[in-house]
Amino acid sequence: MIDLIVIVMSAIVLALVVGWWRWPAFRVWIEAPKYSMLRQERRFDDRNARRTAA
Amino acid sequence: MTTQPDSELPSVEVGLIRAHVFASLATLLISVGFGITAATKFNFPDFLGGHAWLTWGRLRYNHTQGIFFGWLGNAFLAFLYYVVPRLANRPVLSRRLGWFLFWIWNCAVVLPGWVLVAAGFSQPLEWAEFPLVVDAFVVLAFIVMVFEFVLPFLRARLSDLYVSAWYILGGIIFTLLAYPVGNVVPELVPGARGAAFSGLWIHDAIGLYVTPLALAIAYYMIPAVTGRPIFSHFLSMVGFWVLFFTYPLNGTHHYVYSAIPMAAQKGAIIASVYLGMDVILVVTNLLLSIRGSSGAVGRDVPLRFVWCGVVSYLLVSLQGSVQALMPVNRFIHFTDWVIGHSHFAMIGFASFIALGGIAHVWQRIPGTRYNERTMNWSFWLLTVGLTLMVADLTIAGLVEAQVWASSAPWIESVRAVASYWLIRTFSGLPILAGFVLFWASLISGPRPSAATAIAASHEASEDIAAPEGEASIAREALSPGRFSYAHVVIFGAGVGFFALSFLVLAILPGKELEDEIERVAPVTMPALTASEQRGRVVYGREGCAYCHTQQIRSLADDVRRFGAPTEAWETKYDYPQLWGTRRIGPDLSREFNVRSRDWQLTHLYNPRLVVRDSVMPPYSWLFNGGPDRPTEEGLDVLAYLESLGRARQLSGFERQALGSSVQTGTSDMAMASEPSARATPPTVPIAMTGGYSVSAPILHPASDPDDLRDEVGRGGALFAANCASCHGPAGLGDGKASASLLPRPANLTAARFADERLSSVLWNGVAGSSMPPWRQLPTEDLRALVAYIQSLHLPSAVPSTQEDTSPNEGESLFAANCASCHGASGAGNGPAAGVLAPAPTNFHLKRPTKERVWEVLENGLPGTAMPPWTSQLSADQRHALVGFVRSLYGPPKEGQGR
Repeated sequence: MIDLIVIVMSAIVLALVVGWWRWPAFRVWIEAPKYSMLRQERRFDDRNARRTAA
Repeated sequence: MTTQPDSELPSVEVGLIRAHVFASLATLLISVGFGITAATKFNFPDFLGGHAWLTWGRLRYNHTQGIFFGWLGNAFLAFLYYVVPRLANRPVLSRRLGWFLFWIWNCAVVLPGWVLVAAGFSQPLEWAEFPLVVDAFVVLAFIVMVFEFVLPFLRARLSDLYVSAWYILGGIIFTLLAYPVGNVVPELVPGARGAAFSGLWIHDAIGLYVTPLALAIAYYMIPAVTGRPIFSHFLSMVGFWVLFFTYPLNGTHHYVYSAIPMAAQKGAIIASVYLGMDVILVVTNLLLSIRGSSGAVGRDVPLRFVWCGVVSYLLVSLQGSVQALMPVNRFIHFTDWVIGHSHFAMIGFASFIALGGIAHVWQRIPGTRYNERTMNWSFWLLTVGLTLMVADLTIAGLVEAQVWASSAPWIESVRAVASYWLIRTFSGLPILAGFVLFWASLISGPRPSAATAIAASHEASEDIAAPEGEASIAREALSPGRFSYAHVVIFGAGVGFFALSFLVLAILPGKELEDEIERVAPVTMPALTASEQRGRVVYGREGCAYCHTQQIRSLADDVRRFGAPTEAWETKYDYPQLWGTRRIGPDLSREFNVRSRDWQLTHLYNPRLVVRDSVMPPYSWLFNGGPDRPTEEGLDVLAYLESLGRARQLSGFERQALGSSVQTGTSDMAMASEPSARATPPTVPIAMTGGYSVSAPILHPASDPDDLRDEVGRGGALFAANCASCHGPAGLGDGKASASLLPRPANLTAARFADERLSSVLWNGVAGSSMPPWRQLPTEDLRALVAYIQSLHLPSAVPSTQEDTSPNEGESLFAANCASCHGASGAGNGPAAGVLAPAPTNFHLKRPTKERVWEVLENGLPGTAMPPWTSQLSADQRHALVGFVRSLYGPPKEGQGR
């Protein structure tokens, strides 16, 4: 049972790595949130700055 | 996240952030106060010792639960109110619900939890010490959290969900599933089976609640401060899923070498190693995310807190993986090493990141103050205090492990680490000061300039926009409808992973254990009596299981010291299990028949009355003013202690185990298979008929006067450390414990003892009295004790060789009145001797002074079978007996005792 879990887990991780390496669209897709997070953070900061200035 | 005008940005609940920040810091200081007070008691165990609500066990419970719920819980909630609207692009569900959650968390969980634990209502389960009634409110709070923080993500697509959001969703949902199981199931499933569930929660509390929310902060703060995206969102997602997959499988590594099936133990060890690799991945990704902005770590104190927390996460996780491995675990488990590890995790990792998160948020909400200088001081004080504490406890753990692996008495390990405990207590002071200064930095100093904050966060804004076009295309291509809703994925995974961990680490091992118990448990195994059951509750309430395990592991060192390994069937009536994960005192699994009732009660009343250097708290509230006046609760605890290991002894298991182990003798059990070691734990006195046991070596003091002088000197020091509590500093039998022990400790000045007699007593103890065996001491120490005790024999008491009565009269009186117990020759082997404990004196090995014999004949020996003889024998007859008894000393003469 434990062996099976370890093998399945390793296989999933390996599949993800292979997918990331062989499929650029997947790479772009999965990296997208790190940019949108920053844009959102900036919008909030801008709003706060305007409120503070006001 | 869709682009929208700033006016449409969701609102942030600033009032709730402030409330949770202040609640977190207030509960943090109180919890640290509990911790420092508990730590102080290691060196000053009587400090605040007379108050039940301030006893070590209850403080320990409140310390960890306060850190978990009060400090980290409130800190995480404060951060969630700040970050969820940003990540979900929607406000939290309801401000009113938020305040409801605030009041539940603090006024129905933290404060009542503390009060109830202090009042004696608790669960003796690690990280689950608050009583069940509080647990109900914790579950309610997590349900409210689902509504408040998970629902805003309801419409989020997978491709919109930043890794911090994944950790937040995972942390809340997984904890909601894990909490009831870890807190309630061990109350319903006994002993070893319950321990399997407890092990799950011990690790899930950290792995599924503390770790995800701390990592959510780290993953959010690093890009927010540096203005650059994290190194790889792909790696962060791999790290997330591997963490949530492997963490629930870790729990049983707290019970390596236990009765839990080995497959589950090995599974937990493998998961621990896998987790270590995952942490390397997570930390590498986080540290690479600071690349090019490392200067920000020096400038921005909150980011420095987070950076330090991330590095600590790497170190403490690798440490955790290593200490799960069997060769390491067998050595350091139960020691202070593990306490150092948990402080490293909870302060160095979780608290540092939570502090960074709070400070980051605080700078960015309107109307707050921020004093960077004070914050900087806070950082350095905390870093110094933490480093000192972790290093100190780690070394202390190694010292303890070394002593435990030797044959030294248990108390030697306590003595060996006393100075380390003192340093640990002092290391808590800079930590406390650091936390105080942290709070001060949030209420002093100037109000931060919003423009400055924004400028800092937008340093690298050109990195943000470029890939968006590609991302949109990829998003459309890779986000099919069935995966549109992230919460469905995480909820499904949460239930699935959790079910898997229960299956692998709890349900399957539990079934195996159930079958084993049914097969092996003696049909006559008695359940606990009502009194024993009540005593068990008190034992749990006072935190006894946090210093004394009831889990002898299948290791030679454990078996040699405590007896045969604990088997699952022995715990079939233990609701909840009290196995424990820490040893400050010895394991108590085999306490049945080990100590006299007087000794146990005296020890409970004030342990230092019988064990000079004990650090166990006094439990004076279980007594009405003295150790000989226990309350009903005191008697209940005594009854429970005397029940530990009873089923095993009465069922004859020891004999079977001895027989089988002698045959097997695997490398690990080689020492345990020695008959004397395995069959008889060193703390069990052996009944000696005739005053000595052939199993004991005869220890002859040195014959050379100079060597003898040295031996006596060393023996004096050993006597003062180990024996004076009962026998008194001068050996007069008037030690502090003597008033409450029956039979009284021997007056060692009132008799001359043969080497054989002293050797046997030191080796085997005296059954039926409070005198334990001391054969854990090295032979040279025992020899020194023999020399010292023989030197105590007072010169004034040295008898003349001429006795003033007729020996014949004494002999006939002895034969008529004393021989049935003391034997015809006075060798302590009369017909009745076999059933008497303590055994009757062998006068060939012990020559009491005239005064002592007279006193015993006048008053008897309370606590033994020896009665007063004043009503049966005249004064002249007693005088005759005095002379005869004293004449017996030495080897039996020919014809003596016919």
